[in-house]
Amino acid sequence: MVETLRVIDFGENSPLRSQTLWHGIAYGVSAGEAATLSFTRPVTPYVCIGYHRGIDEVDQDYCRQNALPVLRRMVGGGPVYLDKGQLFFQICLAARAVPAARRQALRMLLEPAVTAFRTVGVPASLDDELEICVGDRKICGHGAGQIDDAVVLCGNLIETFDHDRAARVLAIADPAQRGQTLALMRRFVAATPVDPARFQAAMISSYAAALGLVAAAGELTGLERTAVEELDEKFESAAWLAGPDRPAPRAGAEPRARQVKVRAGVWTFAAKRDGAEVAASIVRGSVEQVRLRVGGLNGSTREAERAIRGIPLHSVAQVLGGFGEPGRRLAAAFVTAEAGRL
Amino acid sequence: MERTELVIVSGFALALDRRYHAETHMWVLLTEPDRVRIGMDPLGIETSGTLAQLSFDPVGSELTAGRPFGQLEAAKFVGPLVSPVSGTVLAVNDAAAVDAGLTERDPYGSGWLIEASLSDATGELQGLLENAAEITTWFTAKLADYRRMGVIAQ
Repeated sequence: MVETLRVIDFGENSPLRSQTLWHGIAYGVSAGEAATLSFTRPVTPYVCIGYHRGIDEVDQDYCRQNALPVLRRMVGGGPVYLDKGQLFFQICLAARAVPAARRQALRMLLEPAVTAFRTVGVPASLDDELEICVGDRKICGHGAGQIDDAVVLCGNLIETFDHDRAARVLAIADPAQRGQTLALMRRFVAATPVDPARFQAAMISSYAAALGLVAAAGELTGLERTAVEELDEKFESAAWLAGPDRPAPRAGAEPRARQVKVRAGVWTFAAKRDGAEVAASIVRGSVEQVRLRVGGLNGSTREAERAIRGIPLHSVAQVLGGFGEPGRRLAAAFVTAEAGRL
Repeated sequence: MERTELVIVSGFALALDRRYHAETHMWVLLTEPDRVRIGMDPLGIETSGTLAQLSFDPVGSELTAGRPFGQLEAAKFVGPLVSPVSGTVLAVNDAAAVDAGLTERDPYGSGWLIEASLSDATGELQGLLENAAEITTWFTAKLADYRRMGVIAQ
């Protein structure tokens, strides 16, 4: 007997419910409910942060002043800005139905979405870094996680994208880094304004086919409704928003760079060390834009910036070493950034 | 702690001085008769992708075999660190929680995850791979599987 892919279109919801509804499904699927594909759209904008990420990555003052709620999700990824111009989808399966190797699991869960994008005329592909892209532009943000005994992957159809606001909600103290981040967002994050109803239909067909299931409209069970109500309370609590306990960095440890990932392989950072300040954007491992500040370069700052533009990040220290002691201090600031951990 | 002797299996380091849980890729090192250190083997790490974050249940938490004792995030996927034994968490590796890369760089040493007392000093270790030959056979077979499935590069 062919099993069912339950499909639930939640329509427009409050920011809180646009998170808790699909988190609630994970508890139902854990308890034996069918694999579920769901859709929702926030009726008002908000900011959402991944399970492990620090709340200090979000400009909370700006969010308060602009009535943007900040919510922490149970799945991965960084802080993101969500609004009505984005249709969110979530695919939720029993954990036993998903490969234990994460990259394999992500590929399995993302490929049907790629198929759906292509069905509606968007030439999407899944790149080696498991981003859904058109060319080198990311067109779908995603995050995944295991919640209880279910695995859920969420993503979005970006019909419109407010790059300015998406950059503005991030806590970025350095104006140069803020500018670099916004420029990279404009270049590497793109909307694909297709008919959302067609996209939803394509998603349902694609996931049902890929999983060997028959799609059928469904609704939340009693257990799931109870879970959603409990999650409503949890997600609004200060303790949940604060995130999992993180140990304080050891005494004397060098402060880490402020890093912002725009898409896989594309990020910015700002760092200060021993009086040297760096703000740089990194694209595919090489420095693109850079702003250096350090005493003692005697008018050679612009020359140092030119010298490292376009070179691989791992070569920066060697090049800056040619600028004497100030260059070595700048190089030490560069070392505090680490691409892979974003 | 003494320096770990490693063998290399198709490019992956394998420590034979400890036990392994075949499904979760967790290693278990007996440090005292009823106390263990738990970490993740290099295949478990490799198949996760670059480790972005690790978080652990607090010291004093109860451990149940097959249930999470923390969370691991890699490739924007948050998933459970599954305990291979039952007992109580005695220590967590704060250094790994601050820098998950430590677990990648030194999975058998400074990148350990938690230490725990065992609820049953002998029973909890049954079912784990212990013998050097069976550990090597299991690791080799798993590696071949992952390469065949394309999860790990050839």
